[in-house]
Amino acid sequence: MVFSSGEDVMKRLAEQQYLCSKNVATVVYLACAMRKPILVEGPAGVGKTELGKVLASALHLDLIRLQCYEGLDEAKALYEWEYAKQLLYTQILKDKIGEALAGSRTLQHAVERICSESDVFFSQKFLLPRPLLRAILSPAPTVLLIDEVDKSDTEFEAFLLEVLSDFQVSVPEIGTLKAIHSPFVILTSNNSREMSDALKRRCLHLYLDYPDPDRELEILKHKVPGVGDKLAADVVHLLHRLRKLELKKKPSISETLDWVKALTLLQIERLDHQLVEETLATLLKYEGDIRKAQKEMQEFLAERKAKLQAPAVASDKDFLH
Amino acid sequence: MDDRIVEFTHLLRRHGARVSLSEDIDAISALGILGIEDPSMFRDGLRATLIKRAADIRTFEELFDLFFLGLGAAVRESERDLMGQLGLTPQQYQELLEEIRRMLQRQPNLTPLARALLAGDLTQAERLIRQAIEREELEQAGGQIAVALYLRLAGRLALGTVEEELGSFREMALAGLDDPGHRQRLSRYLERRLQDLSRMVRDLLRQELKKRSIVASERERLEYLTQKSFAYYTEEDIQRMNEAVVRLAQRFKNLLTLRRRKARRGRFDLQETLRKNLQYGGVPFRIQLDRRKREKPQILILCDVSDSVLNASRFMLQFVYSVQDLYSKVRSFVFVSELGEVTRLFEDNDLQQAVELALKGEVVNVYSHSNFGRAFELFYREHFSSVNGKTTVMVIGDGRNNYNRPNDWVLKEIQRKAKRLIWLNPESRWKWGFGDSEMPRYAACCDVVEECGNLSQLHRVIERIAR
Repeated sequence: MVFSSGEDVMKRLAEQQYLCSKNVATVVYLACAMRKPILVEGPAGVGKTELGKVLASALHLDLIRLQCYEGLDEAKALYEWEYAKQLLYTQILKDKIGEALAGSRTLQHAVERICSESDVFFSQKFLLPRPLLRAILSPAPTVLLIDEVDKSDTEFEAFLLEVLSDFQVSVPEIGTLKAIHSPFVILTSNNSREMSDALKRRCLHLYLDYPDPDRELEILKHKVPGVGDKLAADVVHLLHRLRKLELKKKPSISETLDWVKALTLLQIERLDHQLVEETLATLLKYEGDIRKAQKEMQEFLAERKAKLQAPAVASDKDFLH
Repeated sequence: MDDRIVEFTHLLRRHGARVSLSEDIDAISALGILGIEDPSMFRDGLRATLIKRAADIRTFEELFDLFFLGLGAAVRESERDLMGQLGLTPQQYQELLEEIRRMLQRQPNLTPLARALLAGDLTQAERLIRQAIEREELEQAGGQIAVALYLRLAGRLALGTVEEELGSFREMALAGLDDPGHRQRLSRYLERRLQDLSRMVRDLLRQELKKRSIVASERERLEYLTQKSFAYYTEEDIQRMNEAVVRLAQRFKNLLTLRRRKARRGRFDLQETLRKNLQYGGVPFRIQLDRRKREKPQILILCDVSDSVLNASRFMLQFVYSVQDLYSKVRSFVFVSELGEVTRLFEDNDLQQAVELALKGEVVNVYSHSNFGRAFELFYREHFSSVNGKTTVMVIGDGRNNYNRPNDWVLKEIQRKAKRLIWLNPESRWKWGFGDSEMPRYAACCDVVEECGNLSQLHRVIERIAR
């Protein structure tokens, strides 16, 4: 399940339609070789979660995902006893229990007999494994994606620390369960809360930022095959201008892809099409942002027009730099 | 290489990045995997293992450039240059070096620096100089003091002795040679080494000064900002403060939601427990605790927006509205001598804009003289009915009433009716009560009175209010 080098990572992720920079590839390769979790941070929508998913399919491993939220606790993340099932079994096995107890004269004696059989009710059969335990118990290696870990509470983070450091869990009734293969762990964070130093220390850190224009263009062409060259280049250039504005929510890669898909579906090939403004809602999620974006787009188009009318040597390449 | 990495992590720590020992070890083992041939991979590997906060990335990049790319390239360049000058192939050059090293073995009394220089081991020489520099106190080093520093450093490295030693080695070496071409090459080589020495000291010193100045200044500025009075903020400070307030609000939110979630758990609820456990045949497997009603407080802010306390009001408004979803209702008023409600502004505009509008005098005339008494009276007449037992009323102002009627009875009324009355005063406490300040009179009517003149005090106040 390992990569042989940074280039290998890049190649195999690209096969899964995920284009990453050399930096990302190096960190992934390193994490793989050092068997350490990766903590991925960065703005929303740059492909943090996607990275986890893609890694799983590139390595042909199962993906186990744990979505964090405020109030997530061990019972939902690790394991839970199936009370109902235990109760049901007790009811069904009532006769058997009667049999087992037949011949015991005193109450004390009966209790002792039940005690000797108590393993029956506290075995892994009645254990409901949640994502973390699933990853630990899995017979094959897995990719464990712990999404938005910053949304969880500090208590949970401390608990996670314990699991991540030795991949073993102690269940009081059964004993310690140790991982057969330590899973490849990806943690993502939107930085709504600073993670503790202890957790960070155990991870490699990867900061995913918006891609540079060339890469974004590449991603666009890769993900939206029907897109025209001109449109793609214009979109990428516009986006880089938009991201410089003070927006409530900056347009991310996934939103860009949505937008370009919408434009291609509507068979729009140039940004100065009148329909373009109406599709901006796929790109931006706030009314105020959309207004600002419209203004910026007008300016962009005006500038471009001026540029084109000037003795035209400007090629597409110039827009990108 | 390992000790270079350790040195680098020391440097990172000095500049405020938190790098632990285990991360050090990670970095070294990462390099073991990645190798050190590819510079960009080398950089990425170090960054992933050493730097864990996005805020530290910039520091890392700058220090990395200085530390690893600094002299290395220049030194290699100069070696090639030297080879060209002497007209030697790399192999012949190596032979020359070998010869010199043999001669050096017969000279046990050289200083380490001179030995490293002569043997062509420039990395070692660089390290020796670097160590000497790091031992120097560079704290006060400014532009001109750098010269004094250079002299001190020369003393520490015994540069004079080194130069002498190089000179005497040269005489010694030349005396034993007959071939004039060889003599010339050797003397050229030695001359070059002398130049290398002074160039290296100079470059390394310059680098070191730059290294120390980069981030130290940044951190100092933040530190300074927390202590600086709001009253003296410049435009730039305000920009930076906005970020600080946003962070503070986020922290406060986390704190409060956590606390509320815990408080929600209440006592054992018999009825609910029975009902819930019907599915288990009445055996109480799941315990139900009664849920306490979540009580979201209401908040009402009265902000003095006269010049003297403008910034304190600005940050408080910004803060309260950043966390407004924690309250069921937030109403805000600004006053100088008139009173105006600005709640609407915050509904219609985004936060930054609304704060600016509220303070700009769109609502009340900001150029009149402060009159707390009149503002309070107006509030009592028109808005007192909006105060109820759930309301926390917060007044922000310096209490300088320009000798008008104080009307502190309004505050007494508010305090009686509201859940809590808090007064935040951006003026320092020892000034209260002097001149036209009515603070002692007003303070007597409030539940909480706090001084709130800079960022660290704002922190404290918010912690207290959260309780």
